[in-house]
Amino acid sequence: MNKTININLAGIIFHLDEGAYESFKDYLNQIKNALDPQEGGAEIIADIEARIAELFSMRMQESKREAITIEDVNFIQTTLGNPQEFEDESDEAPHTSAGVSAGKKRLFRNTDESIIGGVASGIAAYFGTDVVWIRIIFLVLLFFTGIGFITYLILWMAIPEAKTTAQKLQMRGEPVNLSNIERSVKEELEGVKERFGRFREENQGTGQSIRKTVNKGLNFIINILERLFKLVFKFFGLLFILIGLVIGFTLFVALFGVIASTWNFGGIDFISIDGNILGLNAAEAILGSGIELTLMRIGSLLTLLFPILGLTTVLAKALRKPLANGRLVNIVGGTSFCLGLALLLYAGGNVLSSFKVSTTEMRTVKLQGSTFDLRAELLEESDGFLFEIDDDNLRIENVKLNIKRSFDTTATLAMKHRARGSSNSDARKRAMQFNYPFEQVGPVMSISEYFTVPEEALYRGQELEVILHLPLGSEVYLDPSVENLLYGIDNAHNMWDGEMIGHTWKMERRGLVCMDCEEIDYFESEAVEEQIEALELEIKKLKDN
Amino acid sequence: MRKGILEYCILGILDSSDAYASDIIDQLKGAKLIVVEGTLYPLLTRLKNAGLLEYRWEESSSGPPRKYYSLSNSGRAFQKELKMTWEELQSAVTILTTRPNQS
Repeated sequence: MNKTININLAGIIFHLDEGAYESFKDYLNQIKNALDPQEGGAEIIADIEARIAELFSMRMQESKREAITIEDVNFIQTTLGNPQEFEDESDEAPHTSAGVSAGKKRLFRNTDESIIGGVASGIAAYFGTDVVWIRIIFLVLLFFTGIGFITYLILWMAIPEAKTTAQKLQMRGEPVNLSNIERSVKEELEGVKERFGRFREENQGTGQSIRKTVNKGLNFIINILERLFKLVFKFFGLLFILIGLVIGFTLFVALFGVIASTWNFGGIDFISIDGNILGLNAAEAILGSGIELTLMRIGSLLTLLFPILGLTTVLAKALRKPLANGRLVNIVGGTSFCLGLALLLYAGGNVLSSFKVSTTEMRTVKLQGSTFDLRAELLEESDGFLFEIDDDNLRIENVKLNIKRSFDTTATLAMKHRARGSSNSDARKRAMQFNYPFEQVGPVMSISEYFTVPEEALYRGQELEVILHLPLGSEVYLDPSVENLLYGIDNAHNMWDGEMIGHTWKMERRGLVCMDCEEIDYFESEAVEEQIEALELEIKKLKDN
Repeated sequence: MRKGILEYCILGILDSSDAYASDIIDQLKGAKLIVVEGTLYPLLTRLKNAGLLEYRWEESSSGPPRKYYSLSNSGRAFQKELKMTWEELQSAVTILTTRPNQS
């Protein structure tokens, strides 16, 4: 005895065996799961149920049976097929389900829409984006670092060309369904259509056979036209390259300036006292044009690729066109970010290591006379930047002025130049290369606020201490212009540097003594000592009592 | 790709005469264009929702009432357009695939 279950399909009652019922219920559920989320899913399900009802009725009539068996259900399943295959590839839905109908997307070079090798348009077809964006990315990469060129070459070699029609369709990989059939078919043939446009006009109304013959005859002309078009395209491409070069370089300068200036190598502030950001100068002064600069450029761009790709994904989402291969984008972005970071760290480490050893080199010049009027008016045009590059020279504004006693009878100007390097000899070589402009005209001693080193020496922590050695009895007037240069000058009054300017100082045995200060001696040591002695005496007296 | 062609074929079948799902299936099966019937229903519904098809109910002697589909005006226009595109595609493919090795 078999239990039967009654079901209602499209208004008709069917009796199903228990086994048949279970199997049929499963199948119907599969169909519902596959179709329900779709637009009009309920209607499709109703249509399918009606068809099943029809098929069941037919089989019942033919075999004159009352109950539906498992064989009938199996027949339905083979006739209607696997619900997964019904799945409607609606235009917006990303293609994730097994790829039954659309076929797997593959990366090809699209030589139909190529400027050089069709790499960019192939990639664009693969990701379903506009080729313009891919070309822009390549151009940007090319002009920033040249990495785009290498990438392009590698991709050109690695990616096969889409030669056959099948490959061209595979390249796009889009399921061609109704909502985009017009677009897909027409767009894909746009190029072909263009090529045959002229030909078609000439042949309207003529027979198919003539058409074919003429076609063959025109083929080579079309070929030539095609090549001409490509040449024109290449010319425009070159033009774009030049424009891109200019834009890219400008962008790069700005970008790298920001990157470089916000960093802080070994505690050296790139932000000047005035709060100005040192852009290009700092980058050039520190990195020069060596491999580190290139590495840093590549590194910073690779690092930037990540946010750019992220932005692309977000944009794509905003435009409700999710990227076909979001995972690949993520992987590429992540990899380039890590790679870029590694490059930056490596180059940064290299640069840092060239700051390792420090040495000093001293130069001494004898001065005339014994009275000096010290001014920092020679080449003092300071714009507050630490670095300035002009004529193959790197100007470094890092000068400290000190005044000390000379144990000779003549005054001298000593220049202590400190520089860093990767090794002792490297640092020494660098320390020897400097030029400090100064001149003496009568008593007027003009010095400058900066010194220069050859541009190729690069900035490696150079600093210059200028020491004016004065013999006993000689005098020096400190012009207000030297204020920025003073650096902890010892004097008999323990006055601050800032207070020393505008006065004349005389070198005495106890140090520099102010000759024209109105209010002095409040810190004089003798007075302090007397006071202490007096206090001690009083304490003694108090104790004795 | 097959799907796009399927849709074109459906429009083509309905262009010559109105039909109900089973007729369309038989024709498609006869041309070996369709393997399982289930594929057709979503297509028909979508074409109908896109305003390209219209349908009417007709009683059936052997089962539930049937949906008879016919082309709407816009469906007819679209079918003509597709036909042109298809013919262009056909000749293009022929030319492309019979063209001697391109450089």
